[in-house]
Amino acid sequence: MSADTVAVRRRARRRPDWAGLGLGLALTLVILVPMLVVITWSFSNVWRYPSILPQQMGLKFWQATLARADVWSALVTSLSLASVVTLLSTVICLPAAYAFARLKFWGRDVLFFSFLAGQAFPKFGLLVAIAAIFLQLNLISTFWGVVLIQLVGTLLFMIWIPVAAFQAVDRRMEEAARDAGAGPLRVFWSITLPQAAPTIFSAVLLSFVGTFYETEGAWLIGAPQIRTMPVLMITFINNQPVIQYGAVLSVLLWVPSLVALVFTRRVIGSSTFARGFGG
Amino acid sequence: MARLTLNALGKTFGTTTAVAAFSLDVKDGELVCLLGPSGSGKSTLLRMVGGFETPTSGEVLIDGEVVTRTPPERRPTAMVFQSHALWTHMNVFGNIAFGLRIRRLPKAEIASRVGRVLALVGLEGYGKRQTNQLSGGQQQRVAIARALVLEPKILLLDEPFASLDQHLRERLREEVRDIQHRLGITTLFVTHGQDEALSLADRIVVLKEGRAEQVGAPAEVYRSPATPFVAGFIGSMNRLPGSVEAGRFRHGALELPLEGVPDGPAELAVRPEHLVVRAAPGGGAASLRRLTDYGTHRIIDLETSEGARLKAQVADGADLPQGPGLQLEPTAWAVFRNDQVIARSPA
Amino acid sequence: MTKVRVPSGAGESRGPLGLLLVAVPVFLLGWMTVWPILSGLVTTLFPKDAAGFSLELYDRFFSDDYSLDNLRLTLWTCGVTSLILLAVSVPLALYLRFARGPLASYVQTLAMFPMFVPSIILAFAFIRVLGPNGTVDTILNALGLAKIRSPYLTVWGPVIGLVWDNIPLTVLILTSGLGAVPNPAIEAARDVGARPLTLFVHIILPRMWSSIFVVISLTILGLFTAFTLPYVLGPASPEMMGPFMQRTFSDLRNPEMALTQATIVMGFCILFGLFYVRSVARNRRD
Repeated sequence: MSADTVAVRRRARRRPDWAGLGLGLALTLVILVPMLVVITWSFSNVWRYPSILPQQMGLKFWQATLARADVWSALVTSLSLASVVTLLSTVICLPAAYAFARLKFWGRDVLFFSFLAGQAFPKFGLLVAIAAIFLQLNLISTFWGVVLIQLVGTLLFMIWIPVAAFQAVDRRMEEAARDAGAGPLRVFWSITLPQAAPTIFSAVLLSFVGTFYETEGAWLIGAPQIRTMPVLMITFINNQPVIQYGAVLSVLLWVPSLVALVFTRRVIGSSTFARGFGG
Repeated sequence: MARLTLNALGKTFGTTTAVAAFSLDVKDGELVCLLGPSGSGKSTLLRMVGGFETPTSGEVLIDGEVVTRTPPERRPTAMVFQSHALWTHMNVFGNIAFGLRIRRLPKAEIASRVGRVLALVGLEGYGKRQTNQLSGGQQQRVAIARALVLEPKILLLDEPFASLDQHLRERLREEVRDIQHRLGITTLFVTHGQDEALSLADRIVVLKEGRAEQVGAPAEVYRSPATPFVAGFIGSMNRLPGSVEAGRFRHGALELPLEGVPDGPAELAVRPEHLVVRAAPGGGAASLRRLTDYGTHRIIDLETSEGARLKAQVADGADLPQGPGLQLEPTAWAVFRNDQVIARSPA
Repeated sequence: MTKVRVPSGAGESRGPLGLLLVAVPVFLLGWMTVWPILSGLVTTLFPKDAAGFSLELYDRFFSDDYSLDNLRLTLWTCGVTSLILLAVSVPLALYLRFARGPLASYVQTLAMFPMFVPSIILAFAFIRVLGPNGTVDTILNALGLAKIRSPYLTVWGPVIGLVWDNIPLTVLILTSGLGAVPNPAIEAARDVGARPLTLFVHIILPRMWSSIFVVISLTILGLFTAFTLPYVLGPASPEMMGPFMQRTFSDLRNPEMALTQATIVMGFCILFGLFYVRSVARNRRD
């Protein structure tokens, strides 16, 4: 990098990086330790106050939690919701993203930026306004009502990220394919899509995971019939005296997020991602 | 193989004119270079031939058939792009075979044709490589193979070697010339490098602001530039402002006899290698500024008594005196007035 | 990657196709963002009971002490959370902008980590650590000290949770904003003898303002109607606007009043919303 970096490095060698050590320690305490506590809870058969460590470790509550019918039905609900929403979102958003990135049509810029409108309003306020409309349409407490509300939540992501991905594809690659005899559809399928695929895959994954954890829409529109994993988790926190159930459910619930962490690091680490949020 | 005819081809983007009523006939097997600075419309012209831009006027004919509105995939043209535009998600074989697969050729034939064209560009056995494992020169060779495998009637090259270093560029240039000769394929080559155009082309089209300034064989364009722009753009050129008075061009003490040219301001254009410099004991038109040895030749920088700077190629130069004592004698030259040639040295 | 360029060439002539391709998402957006807001306005300004235009619903909200308390609590939480968030994130972002090496990447990984912890898991972890008989109590007890006054179910519960939850995005935006401060500018200032504090106040801060405003807008928009964390961690009364609206809608079955609350909340956020959208659009354009 530049001379500045070198200067920083030189200084770092001269004396320890106190700021870094302080921040690292503080973040470890505040961010890592609570997560470790939850994981420990999920593997403890007995842990009574005031013991610092669990009296007995084991998988007792994993078996107990996995044997609960409400956990399985919530898992099925969450997975089918997330799959349906992601699938629908992919089907309607990818062609739109391609159009925004590559075609010229009336009102394109205005329509493109209009997807920000959802961000201009406080989310739960908007949800209440939508719920009021769903009430008249009898969509409250239905699977498809929740699908619709979560689908709207994915629009911005699923259009803006793929638009950037499509725009990043070198036009000349597409032209070379036209030149080789491919029609516009074939070019999209054989060249544009594979080139944009890694970024689009991240967007799809983010949309799946985001939907999986979406709590507020599911709670407001879905309750009491549609019970997703996060909704079940809320009831566990509020009404379940056995702490370990919640702990096991937390760890279970966390898996998709960790998968997303592994696969989307590249996208989220990039400065483009922050700029997408206006940074 | 094929004849390409451009008939009053024009393209405007909004209010700017990229190409203005451009006409050209490219003969069967001919290699024509479109040469010009950036923004001269040469790439737009090529892209209209390839079908990537729709002309706003005029027409494109291949073997007498109008293809002006035919999309690229149905044109018998193949293009090699500046940044090679290889598909990075396919290997070398996949890149070259793509067009053949679209045409649903049998597998065995695809394999043999890809093999043949890889051999042609000197990349036997590279089929399984990923494109990012290749050097810049190899990537460009793959791009050329990809274009050739479809056996196009017209080959289009859009500054294909611009991103390569000088040495590699020269080698690939020769290879392309070789392949083009062997296949006898009609070729349109866009470049902004005069060396490239001079060494490759059967004919050169010098473009400026969407218009052809001159069309001709390399030697003709070099020796007898039609306009000051061509004179300045190709090769190194000295330009001396002066005037014509009573049948003579004058710039200070430098004088040239002209015949049948009316009086008025004029500009003399002469190449460094066509300017003989001698010591003039009685004082001359110019003084010596500096001598630079390029190994193969030497260049001296001169300043005329009128304050104009010029260069001349000399065999030795060490014998020339310092100070104002040099006599200039152009051996081949042109005189321009209002961007038109008004006189030329006798051939 | 962020450029929105006018395409040329092959795509020029396909006007109707483009509109067709974007039609479904645009329709969904209109139906589920624009329409609910307009319809909400109309419903609350022309209530069923009244014959025509009436501010009765708004009147009821602003004359009800409980509603006003909730609004006040929400405003207080927004303010306090934003301040704490900035106090935590600005040093973090500054550190990450200038530090290199393994320790810096460790700090960065941890700072981004909450992005991958769903808020509901965070809420559970919060209760296990800071709740009654939680980890903190256990440790204090082992050291022979008195228990803490747990922030669980107090106004501080949502504040702590929301700060935790918002650290990654805030740090990300601030770091990206700091990227706009060129190294030579800092070098030059150091060269003329600027101390770190002077450097921060005169060189860095002036270029950070826009990111800070973006962060504040984004946080306020998110916090004003935060639901999950206040619902699980906050006090039952007064409650923040998120849980309050949900209860009015679902438990009290009074969608008209819930809509009124939502409209009031949107009114409070409109400026932040517009500012935020403007900055995103501007960033996206250049």
